[in-house]
Amino acid sequence: MIITDVLCPFCGDLCDDIIVEVENNKIIEVKEACETGVSKMMGHERIAAPMIRENGKLRETTYEEAINKAAKILVNSLRPLIYGWGSTTCEADEKGIELAEKLGAIIDNTTSVCHAPSVLALQNVGLPSCTLGQIKNRADLIIYWGSNQAEAHPRHMSKYTSFSKGLFTKEGRKGKHVLVFDVRKTTTAEVADDFIQLDPGEDYRVLSALRMILAGGEDIVPSCVGGVPKEKLIEIVDRMKSSRFGVLFFGMGLTQSRGKPYNVANAISLVRELNAHTKFAVIPMRGHFNVTGFNQVCAWATGFAFAVDFARGQPWYNPGETSSVDVLNRGECDSALIIASDPAAHFPRKCVEHLKKIPLIQIDPCPGPTTELADVVIPVAITGIEVEGTAYRMDGVPLRLRKIIEPSHLSDEEILSRILDKVRELRGD
Amino acid sequence: MELLIKNGIIYDPLNRIGGEKMDILVKDGKIVSRVKNPKVIDAGGRLVMPGGVDMHTHIAGGKINVGRMLRPEDGRRGIEPRRKLTRVCTGYSVPNTFATGYRYAKMGYTTTFEPAMPPLLARHTHEEFRAIPMVDKGGIPLLDNHWLIMEYIKSGDMDKLTAFIAWMMNATKGYGIKIVNPGGAEAWGWGKNVKSLDDIVPNFDITPAEIIHGLAEANERLNLPHSIHIHCNNLGHPGNYDTTLATFDLVKDVASEKRQVMHATHVQYHSYGGSTWADMDSKADEIAKYINSHDHVTIDPGQVMFGDTTTMTADGPMEHELHMMSKRKWTNKDVELETGSGIIPVFYSRKVSINSIQWAIGLELALLIKSPWKTALTTDHPNGAPFTRYPEIISLLMSEKRREEALRNVHDAINKRAIIASIDRELNWEDITIMTRAAPSKILGLDKYGKGQLGIGADADISIYDISPEEEDPRKIQSALSHAKYTIKGGEIVVKDGEIVAVPEGRTYWVNPEFDGETTKDMLDDLAVKFKEYYSVNLANYPVQDAYVPHPVEIKTKV
Amino acid sequence: MLVKLTPKKAFRIPVEAENIKPDNFAGKGKSGIESITVCHGNKEVILGSLFDVEVKGVGNEKETKILIDGDASRIKRIGERMTSGEITINGNVDMHCGALMSGGKIIVNGDADAWAGREMRGGEIMVEGNAGHYLGAGYWGVEKGLRCGIIRVKGNAGDYVGEHMAGGEIVVQGSAGLLPGLNMSGGKIMIEGDAILPCGEMKKGIMIIKGKILEMLPSFRFDGTEVIDSIELKKFTGDLAIGGSGTLYANFVSEE
Repeated sequence: MIITDVLCPFCGDLCDDIIVEVENNKIIEVKEACETGVSKMMGHERIAAPMIRENGKLRETTYEEAINKAAKILVNSLRPLIYGWGSTTCEADEKGIELAEKLGAIIDNTTSVCHAPSVLALQNVGLPSCTLGQIKNRADLIIYWGSNQAEAHPRHMSKYTSFSKGLFTKEGRKGKHVLVFDVRKTTTAEVADDFIQLDPGEDYRVLSALRMILAGGEDIVPSCVGGVPKEKLIEIVDRMKSSRFGVLFFGMGLTQSRGKPYNVANAISLVRELNAHTKFAVIPMRGHFNVTGFNQVCAWATGFAFAVDFARGQPWYNPGETSSVDVLNRGECDSALIIASDPAAHFPRKCVEHLKKIPLIQIDPCPGPTTELADVVIPVAITGIEVEGTAYRMDGVPLRLRKIIEPSHLSDEEILSRILDKVRELRGD
Repeated sequence: MELLIKNGIIYDPLNRIGGEKMDILVKDGKIVSRVKNPKVIDAGGRLVMPGGVDMHTHIAGGKINVGRMLRPEDGRRGIEPRRKLTRVCTGYSVPNTFATGYRYAKMGYTTTFEPAMPPLLARHTHEEFRAIPMVDKGGIPLLDNHWLIMEYIKSGDMDKLTAFIAWMMNATKGYGIKIVNPGGAEAWGWGKNVKSLDDIVPNFDITPAEIIHGLAEANERLNLPHSIHIHCNNLGHPGNYDTTLATFDLVKDVASEKRQVMHATHVQYHSYGGSTWADMDSKADEIAKYINSHDHVTIDPGQVMFGDTTTMTADGPMEHELHMMSKRKWTNKDVELETGSGIIPVFYSRKVSINSIQWAIGLELALLIKSPWKTALTTDHPNGAPFTRYPEIISLLMSEKRREEALRNVHDAINKRAIIASIDRELNWEDITIMTRAAPSKILGLDKYGKGQLGIGADADISIYDISPEEEDPRKIQSALSHAKYTIKGGEIVVKDGEIVAVPEGRTYWVNPEFDGETTKDMLDDLAVKFKEYYSVNLANYPVQDAYVPHPVEIKTKV
Repeated sequence: MLVKLTPKKAFRIPVEAENIKPDNFAGKGKSGIESITVCHGNKEVILGSLFDVEVKGVGNEKETKILIDGDASRIKRIGERMTSGEITINGNVDMHCGALMSGGKIIVNGDADAWAGREMRGGEIMVEGNAGHYLGAGYWGVEKGLRCGIIRVKGNAGDYVGEHMAGGEIVVQGSAGLLPGLNMSGGKIMIEGDAILPCGEMKKGIMIIKGKILEMLPSFRFDGTEVIDSIELKKFTGDLAIGGSGTLYANFVSEE
């Protein structure tokens, strides 16, 4: 059976033009997707059955026992942390937030370790932006800042930016100028028209210099800023001002370098000020396929986009305090539920050490370093392959993930629902 | 479940009941004439009305949610903890979905319409509808800047235009046709705007006037329950009232027997005289004069109230102008081929001449337009103020004394550049019931589907307020309207003594127009090209799936 | 009136104790104070279960002095929204100490964690040790951090000192971290040691750096020298990238 218009559950581009061939409830071929997408969709090693750690070893058990154990751990905690949500549906996110609210837990997603600065910058200065189709049809100046999407979002340039064609961009690549800012010459930089190499940690200063020049104060700016000669900066500002429609995409090179949210706010402000001269947009290059969706759900359900602490029965939002890395780093939480993410593989050492010390529940289709630390492991179906539901593309466009094959396991949403029911039962309401 | 509400003083203008003591009977969610074993509510001479209908409130979707993300400082206002029945509440001007539902219900409102749904992001609006408890909902898709719409109007292909709109209602699970600064969103794609009804939209060789007229005609051909719903060009510009009047005049040749052919929204922002902010004045009288002498247009004022709030609209260039003036944080979101939007926080100050005049104009429109059937009360939530300010606005409309008090604390400019001080009209409960229930329901075309009225067969959406209709103290009025004694939604008591006692999910109204299959096929060929060449998503993934509308009310129409 | 709170044990899970402030303690006896609630994780507990409470004398909030005799490095929000009286902490203190306070005095005989004096509207905070990030800063999304009052830090301060500060005064006797005075629109910050990238997007206000600016933003204009506290300092105006007219004084600017 051939299934068309399938969404790829890999990166924030959420490509929706994938063609999948299925035979005997097994995916045998994936077309149109990038290599990583194909690999994700073709399948990986799975966790076969629920497991509980006893005497230091995981043993297989039933869903019921694993869910009961998970609920008991959470109910008996003073400060549980619920973290992950990079690769699941918005429907699961909604359940997770309800669970956190019920428990008085902290709920946070992977935004915390990638684009938290983008959210904080939005709160500071706003975000003039657009959907990716707007870029495809109009943009003649494309800037990537600290983002190597040639590797992280492989089809981005061909579908939406450098190589795409649209109503007002009929010439494709020929009619576009592509500019890359980064600390090293990335694959993306190699196919750009111009590469600006920044000294590490100098993003804020270079952005200030660009804004200074845009404000008409080039005489104030020193001859070299952050490794970039002033003449080059002036040339860039001229190019920005004279574009018809410009766009600045930024990635973790900007969000995670010194000054984090303020780098992003400075970049957004530059774009904002360019709108007095021409049309300009800015888009964060979000990583996982539905990391944006969690922010959306969390915002409508709690008023805040991530890092929400329900300890007091009401939301307290304070990234830097209520964000998972900070909570773990300070050893504040006394249990954790990790879903659709693998923090043991990505978090700083001190955080992982705390995860080792506390009761840990993992909900995931696939085993990973977090499984090694978990006390309760609950396997689930793969979202976007075995489970349908909503995901938000990096630009906030919501699409419905498809179910392509029959699942062998329960979905994230179902597991969370059952934990929530069990928590209610244990709490006696 | 059955209910008997006795000893209430009933206001039900759609059934010509204006303050009569009579019983209301409820069974299976509807108003009925007979019950067997009802639960009895003794209203004890209190005011009883149909549940409130807010026909223009930005409660769900991409804009309000970015508003929430943009403003954690607003989020931490109005925080209420989780309780046994209710989820956490946050926000003042950008409340979370739960607070939105609870706060409406506590004021006795049961129906709310989101009037700016970007088609590509309609799925998001419906997701938030699912998360707003208590009230029934509907979403009106933004269609006027859509490339295919502009192309069909330009080529005069009314059949395909109509077919496309019919398809869009299905694809977005939408309720009608929203127009926002027609041509402006497309021009804003290049950082530009349109300045008059006759400006040419860049690259599309069409004018705002042509877009408006074309959509009004298509709207009537499809027999949609609601008319076109327009946010006129030139919002917020001194001297814009003549654009507004010309917009009204554009569609007077479009015929409808049942109702208006244009609903102009938040007209307060479109009733300015003068040529700069220094001489901007109220032209509410000119607008009212037109409305009073024509029957094809209805309005809502978009009342401004003093204080902090968040503006959000599909009018992207206008929000950018606001940003250039205030320099406050600003978001913009262009939506490919379709529309755009912008958000900026605002503080309306009684010490500022312009804000004081804006405040006055909203009240003036409601008071100078003679027939309350032509005005639905709105703040254009949260643009003019959060919807939670309605009780205060109603008390101002009902009491000249309260207005006089208020006038003492606003900018002097109001005496020269506004009309409010000279108006002595005081609205009565019948007027208020019309403006907050019967009129919005009728304007939306929902009166026939049992909203905004208490006739036999109507939805049992009822509000009972802890006040006698005789009461004249405006502060008591405000307080009673803020905390309904009872709100009954679909026959279920959901609010008692101002507290939530049940949390139903609410339904979603959408319109499914039937249209000629052959033309639809041709239109779909054109649409397929748009998706193949220009959209960033595939056509197959575009329409909102049924899963997003768990409690639909489908209204079918025929050409 | 003197109230002494001695922590019964060290906490890992933080206590949220905005109720520890003279406004709540004034006029109460030992048992009254012991029964005041605070949050420990997601549970509400009474102060008496976490602290030994001693009370001497009586008085109104202005006359109330609270002494926390021990480590408060896991007690958040001490003195939040306090309006008068005095709190002394004989040890380190956790986040949000003195946040939104509008009067009175807090003395920290140790280090203060992040957000000390956040959105403060009046009063005084004295930190004998070091201060964490966001000293006297704003909350996410707000346009005003410290509005009025004074914060003194004897040691060093972390990043973003006085972020969005709109009035009042901050004195850091040691050095400050990254981007002090960010988005500042009023008030005065004195840093006796060094600072990195001071005054980004500053609109108004004064920053005096008696030590070195280790890295300087490219959007400030050099406007000669001035003598302040008998030291000749270089004067800069900015942040000109946003049309700001703040004043930045520094003894020395590192050349890279």
